[in-house]
Amino acid sequence: MEVKAWLLEALDDLKRTEGVVYADARYLERETESITVRNEEVAGLSHEETKGYGIRVLYRGSWGFAASGVLKPEAVRETARRALAIAKASYLTQKKPVKLDDTPPQRGTYKSPWEEDPFDVSLDEKLELLFSAVRILRKDKRIVKAEGAMQLFHTRKLFLSTEGAEIEQEIVESGAGIEATAVEGREVQRRSFPTSFGGNYAARGYEFIRSLGLVKNADRIREEAIALLSAAPCPVGEFDLILAGDQLALQVHESCGHPTELDRVLGTEISYAGGSFLTLDKLGKYRYGSEIVNLVADATIPGSIGSFGYDDEGVPAQKTYLVREGILVGYLTSRETAPVIGRRSNGCMRAESWHHIPLIRMVNINLEPAPDGPTLEELIADTKHGILMQTNKSWSIDDLRLNFQFGCEIAWEIMDGKKVRLLKNPVYTGITPEFWRSCDAICGKSEWKIWGLPNCGKGEPSQAMHVAHGTAPARFRKVRIGSGK
Amino acid sequence: MIGREEILKVLKRALGRAEGPTEILFMGGRSELTRYTKSQIHQNVAQEDFTVYVKVVEGTRVGVARTNQLAEEAIAAAERKAREIARRQPENPHFPGLLGPQEYTPTETYCETTARFGPDRRAEVLKKIFAKAAEKGFEVAGSFSVSEWEVALANTEGLEAYQPVTGAEIGLVVMSEEGIARADAFSHDVEHIDFDSLAAKAIARCELDRGKIELPPGEYTVILEPACLAEVMMWLSFTAFGSESYLSGQSFLSGALGERSMGENITIYDSAWEPEAQGLPFDLEGTPKRKVVLIERGVNKGVVFDRAGAKKAGAEPTGHAGPPGSPWGAIPWNLCMAPGDSSLEEMIASCKRGILVSNFHYVNGYLDTKRALMTGMTRYGTFLVENGEITQALANLRWTESMLKAFSNVVAISREREVFARGGAFFSIVPAMMIEGFTFTGVQRG
Repeated sequence: MEVKAWLLEALDDLKRTEGVVYADARYLERETESITVRNEEVAGLSHEETKGYGIRVLYRGSWGFAASGVLKPEAVRETARRALAIAKASYLTQKKPVKLDDTPPQRGTYKSPWEEDPFDVSLDEKLELLFSAVRILRKDKRIVKAEGAMQLFHTRKLFLSTEGAEIEQEIVESGAGIEATAVEGREVQRRSFPTSFGGNYAARGYEFIRSLGLVKNADRIREEAIALLSAAPCPVGEFDLILAGDQLALQVHESCGHPTELDRVLGTEISYAGGSFLTLDKLGKYRYGSEIVNLVADATIPGSIGSFGYDDEGVPAQKTYLVREGILVGYLTSRETAPVIGRRSNGCMRAESWHHIPLIRMVNINLEPAPDGPTLEELIADTKHGILMQTNKSWSIDDLRLNFQFGCEIAWEIMDGKKVRLLKNPVYTGITPEFWRSCDAICGKSEWKIWGLPNCGKGEPSQAMHVAHGTAPARFRKVRIGSGK
Repeated sequence: MIGREEILKVLKRALGRAEGPTEILFMGGRSELTRYTKSQIHQNVAQEDFTVYVKVVEGTRVGVARTNQLAEEAIAAAERKAREIARRQPENPHFPGLLGPQEYTPTETYCETTARFGPDRRAEVLKKIFAKAAEKGFEVAGSFSVSEWEVALANTEGLEAYQPVTGAEIGLVVMSEEGIARADAFSHDVEHIDFDSLAAKAIARCELDRGKIELPPGEYTVILEPACLAEVMMWLSFTAFGSESYLSGQSFLSGALGERSMGENITIYDSAWEPEAQGLPFDLEGTPKRKVVLIERGVNKGVVFDRAGAKKAGAEPTGHAGPPGSPWGAIPWNLCMAPGDSSLEEMIASCKRGILVSNFHYVNGYLDTKRALMTGMTRYGTFLVENGEITQALANLRWTESMLKAFSNVVAISREREVFARGGAFFSIVPAMMIEGFTFTGVQRG
């Protein structure tokens, strides 16, 4: 690869430049295919190829970064010079120099597991799969919008550093979902499968798309959307709440994943995404949740979109606890932030593409299943009066990740251990630690599943990251249901 | 900057080799962003990138492929891929064909000074602001970005369009031991931004944000500063005023054009020609941009359309098409709310008991799009107003409210409006407003 030689040369020049204490370079090329079918037509279909490189320079403890898609040796040299000039500008306001941890430079390769390259599957077959599901969704005329969507990614990355790191990675990702919107009068209801906002994603090939069961579930999704049009409104008050796995994945994402990002804790996102209530003084002693709550950051799960071999500053993928038996025990860290808590990076720095700087991002942030935990059916049977909610519809949480309000697509009232009626427009709200401390049951391993989210937003310029959450349904006591409206 | 002549030369050369009807869109350029916290730059980045969209037509079938390389062979490969995609699609009866040459009404979007405002100059500006805040013992966070980009469009029907754009955007978050405040500014000309008064505004507001108390949820008179309305407008652009939400029946305007949904003092429109709206004279399929009134004195008046959406609706395209291959339909990118005859100061002075909100955070508008029901938090300063004065800083509050109800209960709108850029692409020009009976549903605590 010619560009590798150019980048190595640029890093060598930087290494010999006075004041440069560290530099790294990432080259990335990615192929993306996005397909959306809506009712009888292809609403969106595009194929994209992008390639380029980003160079990050630490000059006397201040960062600079520049990126370019121009694949010429002089452009690489110019980009390196620009990164250095930017780092020198940063240095003008420096109060405390950045110091990186002592992670040894890595040399290695990583390839995500896939059986069937999604880009080898014909477009005819992909369209037929989505249209087959959409045709079933449209069997009732009250379904005004039936949609099927698929996104496929093939990414190749190279990481080089002045410390001697040299890493190549190749990752294939696939995801798809269907959605039915029913309208009657002023009532609008939506159901999605396997979950909302694009479906489920994995770092696997087209075999993952085939395994989703989009066509098989289309009848049920249509019927649920229609039934919601005349369902009872979700009652307002305090109830025991069971969250299905897909909604719990979002709960983990917003109320555990984001607040444990150490860059947020240290204030570098305060002007955009916000800060965190999980301040440094709480590490090792703060009761985040009940004793059955164990949350882990695990980038080593094969086939999950929060997994990789190495993060985007060359740190090997790891599994570390964030919350153990309800106590805050860790953060998501980087080589710059980990030393602040006396640790070495746990490998969470990732960039969306070549033109983005790596930031601390979630990996697979998982709620561990309870050993010998119940099935969902058993958990419902164990609930006297409660509400079961599934599939996210709306989400909002404050800038410290304390006060949240989530809406779901569908809910059922539970009376004496049985689902007794369908409920529409369910919303629940709470304060993060109070909510997790009220968790009194988590289902077992048989209910545990990983949910891939391809669109976690963070940073300026904004970056969308692929992350995932393993969850099993769980129950929370006395949760405020309804928005008060 | 590559420049009009050079880009159009590349596009036309590619079109000359095209196998059939083809349209090529070029979008991209250079953007730089400096981020800071605790009065120190912690992230400083620059990127140069563009996307070339190749849209080909096979009968009524369309295929789109994208590349970030301008080389002849890269565009040719994208065209081949797009043709392969088009040939595998069903016929699309709503495809209106490619547009021929058009006349455009110019907009002012480019400034050379902004394009040259590099990292050193941004650091100099910030150093002064950091020093000013330090006089009060405060620290500053935020971001300061400049961008320079170009849009060029050409097709085999002879259409040609080009527009250069610059933008300078700064957000200043001033923090004390217990308080926080924010001020934002955007302009295509960096010299239009008054950094000193922006800093002074954030510092003064931060001084007020101390000794916060919690106010119980309930209905209150609220005074929303312009930044709050910018968030609401962004959500309405997707859930209400865009062609897709309208055609699918999810918008409160669906089947309700001509009906009253808001108070008589509310007029909302999309215009590329409003000062600092950063509107392009054309959309991304070459249709000349029109000013579209969406809400006129509280009555549902219109939505925006691309060409395919207009054909479906039996309406005229308004010049709001998004990028080729995107499923989102037409979106208003330059939303404006008509000004009133009040001012923020007059609203505070006339308020017997209410809540002043500086910013909204994490708004979500998917709760019930037919009622424009939204939820969100307050951020960067929430204050109790009593008998015409700010009397008390408050903990952040959660609100949950139908914007149709809120915009039916507006008792004052400011003459002054502010421009906000969201993600560098969505612009809103909005006033401050006072609303009666606004519903707060929770408090930030922990």
